[in-house]
Amino acid sequence: MPEEYIPIVLILLCALAFGMVAVWLSRILGPRRDYPEKLTTYESGVEPVRTAHERFSVKYYMVAVLFILFDIEVVFIYPWAVRYRALGWYGLIEMVVFIGILLAGYIYILKKEALKWD
Amino acid sequence: MDAVGVLIALLKIVVLFAVVLLTVAELVYFERKISAWIQNRIGPNRVGPAGLLQPYADVLKLLMKEDVVPAAANRFLHALAPVVSISIALAALAVVPIAGSPVTLFGRSVIPVIADIDVGVLYILALSSMGVYGLTIGGWASNNKYSLLGGLRSSAQMISYELSMGLSLIGVVMITGSLRLDEIVRHQAGWMWNIVLQPIGFVTFLIAAFAETNRLPFDLPEAEHELVGGYHTEYSSFKFALFYLAEYANMITASAVIATLYLGGWQVPGLSRLGLSTGAEIAMQIGAFLAKTAAMLFFFQWVRWSIPRFRYDQLMNLGWKVMFPAALANIVLTALVLLFVE
Amino acid sequence: MHDILNDTIASAPLWAIVVTGVATLLVHAWDEKSDKPVFWIALAGIGVSAVLTIWRAPVAGTAYSGMLKTGGAASAWTLLFLVATLLTLFIAWDSLGKAAAPRGEFTILVLFAVAGMIPFSAGNDLLAVFIGLEILSVSLYTLVGLTRRRFASNEAALKYFLLGAFAGGFFLYGIAFLYGAAQTTNIEDIARRFAQSNFPVLFLTGSALLLVGLAFKTGAVPFHMWVPDVYQGAPTAVTTFLITGGKAAAFGAFVTVFTMTLGHASARFAVVIGVLALCSMVFGNIAAIPQTDIKRMLAYSSIGHAGYMLIGVQTASVEGAGGVAFYLLSYILTSTGAFGVVAAMENEQGEGTRIEDFAGLGYTKPLLGALLSLFLFSLIGIPPFSGFFAKYYIFLTAIEHGDLWLVLIGVATSVVSLYFYLRVMVVMFFRQPGENQPVPEAGAWTMIAVVLSAAGVIALGLFPGTVLDLITSVF
Repeated sequence: MPEEYIPIVLILLCALAFGMVAVWLSRILGPRRDYPEKLTTYESGVEPVRTAHERFSVKYYMVAVLFILFDIEVVFIYPWAVRYRALGWYGLIEMVVFIGILLAGYIYILKKEALKWD
Repeated sequence: MDAVGVLIALLKIVVLFAVVLLTVAELVYFERKISAWIQNRIGPNRVGPAGLLQPYADVLKLLMKEDVVPAAANRFLHALAPVVSISIALAALAVVPIAGSPVTLFGRSVIPVIADIDVGVLYILALSSMGVYGLTIGGWASNNKYSLLGGLRSSAQMISYELSMGLSLIGVVMITGSLRLDEIVRHQAGWMWNIVLQPIGFVTFLIAAFAETNRLPFDLPEAEHELVGGYHTEYSSFKFALFYLAEYANMITASAVIATLYLGGWQVPGLSRLGLSTGAEIAMQIGAFLAKTAAMLFFFQWVRWSIPRFRYDQLMNLGWKVMFPAALANIVLTALVLLFVE
Repeated sequence: MHDILNDTIASAPLWAIVVTGVATLLVHAWDEKSDKPVFWIALAGIGVSAVLTIWRAPVAGTAYSGMLKTGGAASAWTLLFLVATLLTLFIAWDSLGKAAAPRGEFTILVLFAVAGMIPFSAGNDLLAVFIGLEILSVSLYTLVGLTRRRFASNEAALKYFLLGAFAGGFFLYGIAFLYGAAQTTNIEDIARRFAQSNFPVLFLTGSALLLVGLAFKTGAVPFHMWVPDVYQGAPTAVTTFLITGGKAAAFGAFVTVFTMTLGHASARFAVVIGVLALCSMVFGNIAAIPQTDIKRMLAYSSIGHAGYMLIGVQTASVEGAGGVAFYLLSYILTSTGAFGVVAAMENEQGEGTRIEDFAGLGYTKPLLGALLSLFLFSLIGIPPFSGFFAKYYIFLTAIEHGDLWLVLIGVATSVVSLYFYLRVMVVMFFRQPGENQPVPEAGAWTMIAVVLSAAGVIALGLFPGTVLDLITSVF
């Protein structure tokens, strides 16, 4: 079984090598004519104001947390889907209960407007 | 796996990379030609015959340009982001089969796919979700407000649509009972393609694929009217080209995956009745696969030049409030139909 | 189809709670101001669950392919949780209403916590136990931070979350070791392989890690660091729930995992748990002495009580388990009562829990003062209240088991505990109330909870044998 994964390792290594060689090539091929004004952060032509690494909207965290929650649901459904024919009605009822409980949470999220962007 | 096996695998990888990169180049050319055609313009026509060499000129030009890294940026992450983007985009195609039976090469049987793994669907989903790292790291490392917003938007957008993407595929997995792409294609013999069996799943997957590849109408991460260049505002030279390459490579991957999962992959209806030799059959199958992928690629570009961009709240609403329930409903529907039919 | 039906019926008490939890969640999602309907639905759900628990109690078995124990001992634990939850809800209605905290969310989260407690204490498989632990813990972390605008509440929630997640990691790591050693997560199979093993290093490591996770939840020394801050910082209604339901769930899991199964496999754990018990009793009772805040004082004393219960756990016997369950029942009733009075004393900002604030309570509010004294007597272990018999049965089992040293320490620390419990009574009855000290008003629901608890404490003290036999018969 692990033998099937050797090509996967190879292609990941090759792809990584390609990317790194490309970045390296552009560095040695391109000219270097730096001066401080060129190296400032682009901000539509005006002087940059403070750093960009400040607090940003909590909405993004919300989306990330909810994603983790529901993505795990999706991952759980996969093994079930593969064996679905063998599980039959038993599997369907169990999955409906599982999805149903998570759906209640989903409705709660919608009603509390956790996904509202304005 | 012995040394020859590894060599054959390496050979296949090199061929795949070459094909993908050449296709990307041509894709950029065709995109410009198609947009020109749709907008009643001429498009590139100077470099080479009918402008065919234009993308190669662009690549060379970008390679020779100065690589500017802003003083405030994190140098390591700034260089890492495009590498991550392009490597993941290139590696995702490893599990897509292009023909039905193995060919004989150097006296051994060679499978028509780089890695025939039993969790192919999961592999594709995993890599497509890792693609978000490139954009997010790039957006953060640039230390630019536009870049950061672009990176954040892209990560929120991609993870939102990844949910529907994963859920849409479950219908296909239920019908086939396997995560191996080869078996999924084999299951679509004749005209029983998954697009027929899974119309809702196909539509949701297609929309999610558009969002995952950051293509219009979902190219919010680089919405130039509000965010300048989005996550690649501070990128120049070949690093910028790598992001571009990755976007187009992702499009090719998405098209190939859609063709494989929903359009029957290498299946040609009625091929076995023609009584062709094995070699000819394999050639026909590869041709069919490429044709289907090309058709999807054209569809991608057609949509891009026909539909305007979504607003960000519309995008998130569509992902969470329409796509997610629709994909869930599709699972329940598929489950019920499967139980009643069998 | 048949299996589903059987499993659902067997685990009906759990299902009743889950369905109630989801129903209240949806009701509350539709109408933000639906605290009252949510409260009533929750009470109905707890009632239904209790009836189902009693109905299934005689039929001990397992459900869901041996994942969950049902009936028998599981019923006893479930009933304990339901009693604790019911009384907590009564207190919370008044206490959270006073603090303008979200009562609807509180009720929903408490129901989910109970849905975690049941598999936590009645899991027949370590994975079920772990899932229960996580459902319970996540609900509790949120509950502790319920009063978002209070600094102490936030601090407590963050502390509890960080340490709790750490302890959960230990627990999961232990499961991984045991799975590696036994190739199964079924607790009984693990215990069997453990007993047969010639070189049980992996088993011992895994069990020790499980022990850390469980000892954290019970708040035993040296895993008690979170207890005082969390119990003091959390809203009083939540503290009540933590100290009653939370503690009951932790000991339920402790007994299920260690006393009934793994404990038989190796006598080495008896010594370890015995040492934990010793440290808890000594530390908890001594550290409670200098406290000036009654919530913090009761928190330290709860560490001491965890020590007494651990004496029962380490005997690894049915009598010990029954003794722990009896102790928990007594402790739940007593603590709810005491915290009910504390909740009544609090003002809108959650202040008024210093021991001086109780000055003169015996005159200004004789009923509250008398009831609080009754609960404190029970906590010390003075007959004829339930606390006495709870300690008595545990000590008796330990002596029969040959652990005289633990019993001697237990009696000695009980004497020490006299000091800080009696001090509250001295303040209540022999000191004049301060100038601007507000006279507390206990709400109707709080009074119901406190009076019910008092009745329970007295009833348990009058008929301890009957109740103990009933509990022991299901183990």
